[in-house]
Amino acid sequence: MSAPSARDAGDGSGPLLAIAGLDAGYGEMQVLRGIGIEIRTAEIVAMVGGNGAGKTTLLRAISRLIPSHGDIRFDGRPLPTTADEVFALGLVQVPEGRQLFDRMSVEENLRMGAYRRHDASGIAGDLERMYDIFPRLSDRRRQLAGSMSGGEQQMCAMARALMAKPRLMMVDEMSLGLAPVIVDLLLETMTRIRGEGVTVLLVEQDVHAALSVADRGYVLETGEIVGQGTARELESDPEVQRAYLGDVTAGGV
Amino acid sequence: MTSAADNILEVRNVTKRFQGLVAVNDVSFDLRRGEILGLIGPNGAGKTTLVGMVNGTLSPTTGDIVFEGRSVRALPAFRRAHLGIGRTFQVMKPFPGMSVLENASVGALFGAKGGERNLRRAREQARESLEFVGLGKRIGQRADALGGPDRKRLELAKALAMQPRLLLLDEVMAGLNHVEIEEVIEDIRKVRDRGISILVIEHVMKAITSLSDRAFVLHHGEKIVEGPTDEVLRDARVVEAYLGKKR
Amino acid sequence: MNARIGFIVSAIVVAALAGLPWYGNSVLVQFGISVLLLATLAQGWNIIGGYTGYASFGNSVFYGLGAYGVAIAMVQFNWPFWVGMLLGLALALVFAALLGLAVLRLRGHYFAIATLGLAFIMTAIVSNLEIAGRNIGLVLPLLKSDALFYELALALLVLVTLTIFWLSRSRFGLGLIAIRENEEGAAVMGVNTTLYKVLAFMLSAAFTGLAGGIYAYYITFIDPVGVFDVALNVKMIIMAVFGGPGSVLGPVVGAFVLSTVSEVLATKVTSFASMFFGIVIVIAVVFMPRGIAHLVENFRRTGWRYFAENVRTHRL
Repeated sequence: MSAPSARDAGDGSGPLLAIAGLDAGYGEMQVLRGIGIEIRTAEIVAMVGGNGAGKTTLLRAISRLIPSHGDIRFDGRPLPTTADEVFALGLVQVPEGRQLFDRMSVEENLRMGAYRRHDASGIAGDLERMYDIFPRLSDRRRQLAGSMSGGEQQMCAMARALMAKPRLMMVDEMSLGLAPVIVDLLLETMTRIRGEGVTVLLVEQDVHAALSVADRGYVLETGEIVGQGTARELESDPEVQRAYLGDVTAGGV
Repeated sequence: MTSAADNILEVRNVTKRFQGLVAVNDVSFDLRRGEILGLIGPNGAGKTTLVGMVNGTLSPTTGDIVFEGRSVRALPAFRRAHLGIGRTFQVMKPFPGMSVLENASVGALFGAKGGERNLRRAREQARESLEFVGLGKRIGQRADALGGPDRKRLELAKALAMQPRLLLLDEVMAGLNHVEIEEVIEDIRKVRDRGISILVIEHVMKAITSLSDRAFVLHHGEKIVEGPTDEVLRDARVVEAYLGKKR
Repeated sequence: MNARIGFIVSAIVVAALAGLPWYGNSVLVQFGISVLLLATLAQGWNIIGGYTGYASFGNSVFYGLGAYGVAIAMVQFNWPFWVGMLLGLALALVFAALLGLAVLRLRGHYFAIATLGLAFIMTAIVSNLEIAGRNIGLVLPLLKSDALFYELALALLVLVTLTIFWLSRSRFGLGLIAIRENEEGAAVMGVNTTLYKVLAFMLSAAFTGLAGGIYAYYITFIDPVGVFDVALNVKMIIMAVFGGPGSVLGPVVGAFVLSTVSEVLATKVTSFASMFFGIVIVIAVVFMPRGIAHLVENFRRTGWRYFAENVRTHRL
């Protein structure tokens, strides 16, 4: 578990996001300890681990929604310390549970994603691109977001994030409550998005789903990184199962 | 195999439907007197919903909850507390404006058998529960002034002050570090040694393997596996429930 | 605060107040009656709003019921005053039980709005009741003894305050506070929340109704719009909250202070009276949002920082 070197490289050759020695938590409860990860441009990186491992806490720390200690560098430069600035830099989160504006239509939700942008023609063009990537949303432009199925809501949430023209998209527990067929559809979309130059950090409980599209991955357990490697390596790594279900060979009771 | 008299709790074919969604589907299990039973399952499996139906926060759409031989499915939460069912919550429910001692006193005053009528005796009971979890020095502090781990201790103390015979622990280990986890495991063992039967819901598997001989697994609202803890944790279906289907 | 010292001080204050009709002038006595009744209303509200956490905007209903109980008894049936008080009390209790069961299952804002609606409904119903004199109202027999009403009002205030003192130290009271702090948490710990809420509502209604009864006989004339007045309900809430909801003496202090301020401003600075009153309230909410009672308790500990911390908490 070596911490990646946080080089100050503004020339695009270094990692897009580099984290070293990150501690974060909620008040007295420290959830994350000494986290170190690296994400390169146009990669899909999976972050897997059981419930309560700290995955969502990590995303919150990166988005500066909660305080943290440690080194976070984006594009070689120190990551700004307010959520506002982080978003403006292009780190956009698709939160757990979608968090859509339920009583707004699909199109309104997508436009909210572009709230900070001022290029009207660019926005219009991107809207059409979203409908192209997610045909189901195209059929439901005027439908209230809260009235759609779970899978469609997840698509809407991702499209909304994409409307912000992110450089790094962080997706939190996309597969929760969704049928495997829908999850597969969404995973395909991930690959397509990556093809358009968006880097993705995929936080997932469903290991196999995440690793089926990811290039590399990290395994989180009780707030620490306990494994990392390429997707292929992790697929067959017993450490992954141990992180979820504990050490069953060593005696318990 | 176990006679009905040995079971403190029997959950029979319980289903919970929320409008269109089936959160718990035809689940049955028994909890033997004096045992610690583990309940595990991935996020969204329906564990908290199931436990909610045992303590009365929710009522089952169909099925029955039998506590110490009598059906309690129609009883509201406060009556089940009087019968001896205590519970901690994942999203904790302290009384922020009250002191730590007062928080636990509510449990002593209104808990099992309707609780204590005498304020002084209730306070003694409360104090004892607080000492047990290690909050003895903080009894005068306001509950909302407590830090994270202490809040968890308070949540447990409140339930213990009720003098329950069945204790439902919903993810008490969440957010604790390794040392704290060991401490809480020890505390739970001591609680069982007092004769209290316990249902432990956890994601921290160390707690399940250390405490429970038996466990069952919920996935998408259904019970998929049940049996001795280490067998359950090695079962292929359980691995798939947690890690997802191989692709 | 040491309970024994508190008792002795309170007893002295009560004795001093009781003597007012002898050493004060008639204007002061009338002002006194008004303040004492308001303080009782604030304390009555304190039971359901302060301790139980259900901000009732319908307490004026019970005030009106108490008033009409006395009025109807004395005017329509020629019964003595104390029988009228019992009738008013009975009406208040019955309505509190029935309405309570219906309305206490609502939370927060919805409860407030529902109780607000009750006041208007009551006005409409009573305005059409023959026995209540419809919207013309009723004229009660005249009793020219302000001193008597003053002492009655004082006695009622002492009674409700003692009740709240008992509440603050009883199992029932702790159950109410638990409901306020976390109702679901209270239920799973064994508190019969429905029963307790209705009982609190009834207790609140009882004192509010009795105050209304005294008021009716004192003022000699009542009509629906006057006694079911929502503005009165707002007043009692402001006084309770300013003084310290959930405390034993807070609402009394709040009622006394605010009434005096209002009176002084009305006579001295008439044109700006309302504005200053409003400003006083706003400043109080910003700097001492938990009321005077909390301020007194904590000033000893934190000193002047108390105010600064409150401002910071509200991110001003």
